[in-house]
Amino acid sequence: MPVIEVEELRRTYSSRTGLRRSAKKDVEAVRGISFEVERGELFGLLGPNGAGKTTTIKMLITLLLPTSGRARVLGFDVVADAREVRRRIGYVFGGDKGLYERLSGLDNLRYFAELYGVAPKEQGPRISELLELVGLAGRERERVEGYSRGMRQRLHIARGLLHRPEVLFLDEPSIGIDPVGARELRETVAALVSTGTTVLLTTHYMFEADQLCDRIAVIAGGSIVAEGTPAQLKERVADGHVVEIEVYGDAGERIDAVRAIAGVTGVAVEEGATSQLLVVRTSAAAQVTPAVLGTLDGVRLGRVATREPTLEDAYIELVRDV
Amino acid sequence: MRTSLRIFFIGGMASYRALFHWLTPWILIPTFVVAPMFELLFFAFVGKDAGVGDNTFYLMGNGISSAAIPCLFAMGNTIANERYTGTLGLLLTSPARRLPLFLGRALPVILNGFCVSVVALGLGALLLHVSIPAGDWLPILAVTAVASFSCTGLGLVAAAIGLRVRETATLSNIVLGVLLVFTGVNVAVNVLPQWMQSVAQVLPMTHGIEAARELAAGRSLEDVAPLVRDEILIGLVFVAIGFAMLVWFEHDSRHHATLETA
Repeated sequence: MPVIEVEELRRTYSSRTGLRRSAKKDVEAVRGISFEVERGELFGLLGPNGAGKTTTIKMLITLLLPTSGRARVLGFDVVADAREVRRRIGYVFGGDKGLYERLSGLDNLRYFAELYGVAPKEQGPRISELLELVGLAGRERERVEGYSRGMRQRLHIARGLLHRPEVLFLDEPSIGIDPVGARELRETVAALVSTGTTVLLTTHYMFEADQLCDRIAVIAGGSIVAEGTPAQLKERVADGHVVEIEVYGDAGERIDAVRAIAGVTGVAVEEGATSQLLVVRTSAAAQVTPAVLGTLDGVRLGRVATREPTLEDAYIELVRDV
Repeated sequence: MRTSLRIFFIGGMASYRALFHWLTPWILIPTFVVAPMFELLFFAFVGKDAGVGDNTFYLMGNGISSAAIPCLFAMGNTIANERYTGTLGLLLTSPARRLPLFLGRALPVILNGFCVSVVALGLGALLLHVSIPAGDWLPILAVTAVASFSCTGLGLVAAAIGLRVRETATLSNIVLGVLLVFTGVNVAVNVLPQWMQSVAQVLPMTHGIEAARELAAGRSLEDVAPLVRDEILIGLVFVAIGFAMLVWFEHDSRHHATLETA
């Protein structure tokens, strides 16, 4: 039986503007998504800002009621059996908030251990074990206000694991963390999955999803636009290549011309500090590259490289038109 | 059951420390000792000059009502501060039973309010040269504790509103003003207009202040028992209303996503 079952889940936010002649505005954040996550699986939800990832997680952790559809976690309905779901899940989100700044890391963990009903005798050993796991042993008596962002994030992870949840929801846990911290976090998550914990992860970082996730659902505009293993998603653009051209100057105005070239399947511009990177997805790099360079005549160019498509290319392809 | 008791006592105290740990002596003493004392002296001198009441009248009224500062603001902020620290969502997705979770937060607040009142009464008695027999202080302190409890009940209502709106301090300020005017702190309830007297009967503090004045005048605890009973009943009603509102607004927050939009 799947650990997480989501069927036609919808969530609409309603808001009103103005006091007189107030107008109601509905925003469909999640539009009837369905997916399943098996026990011990690390399932990724990928999508741009506002795609509906966090809203989906909030419904699964019982913080929001679905407008329609159904979701079950470990066989418990997230609406009817909310308390049973809460007992069995952990929730960790990224960013600076979500901790009591003026308390020590240890006191934060003690308080949440009480809220999750961790037995008094078990609290001490469990907290010590988790502090070791997340690398905060020795710093636990310091106030959280003095913690770095990475330390806070690791404390968040420890908090989410206090009651040994069977399912862990990680909502952009590595946001704003330095590369070393992010790598340690990925190692921690991978270690958790290896012990049988089911993880649902949302992230913006493609390499993170590629490295960690067993399966991924790409969500855009509130709908799932693709689902599969990272390899399966990459295969969607595997029949082509990617040409990257470093451009010094404004390449934006040439994009339409590049896009019009036969064999070009997609174009994106990534802004750098002193240059722009023109990313051209093609069905046949060898034939297309000279034509692309031709459209950039008169613009100072830097490095020109051809590479195989990555998960990020597949992701951009999938969410581009939504 | 044991888990709920731990959440009530240990969790309640932990959350109080978590949310009000910033209260250093530099903030605590001016807020809880100096400001109530200025208020007491101001009303005592004005009232005495106007021939409205004696020092004991103002000492009991202002001393007991000084508990309202922590009882309304600290209790009201127990939810609003969770929103500020970004822990409200975590609190609401925890499996902790709501009764011990929310009511446990009231216990340290009641204690806080009681201590503020005791200091105000003690210091005020010294400054205003009010002499009360030593044996009468104990029942007065008991009434003070009851008034702190009932006022915290009203604070629980403010806490519940914190689930629906972001800023509760404004509301607490208004309620504090209402208590000051309606509950007989500085003007006896029986000289207020009839409608205000009716409102006063259902507010916390009214009966507690009256009971304390009776005790200071030499009556026994038995004599003021009906007043104490009414004060307790009003406190219980407000606790029940506050808790019901907390449960309702929590459900409403899941339904209308008000934790994000309020």
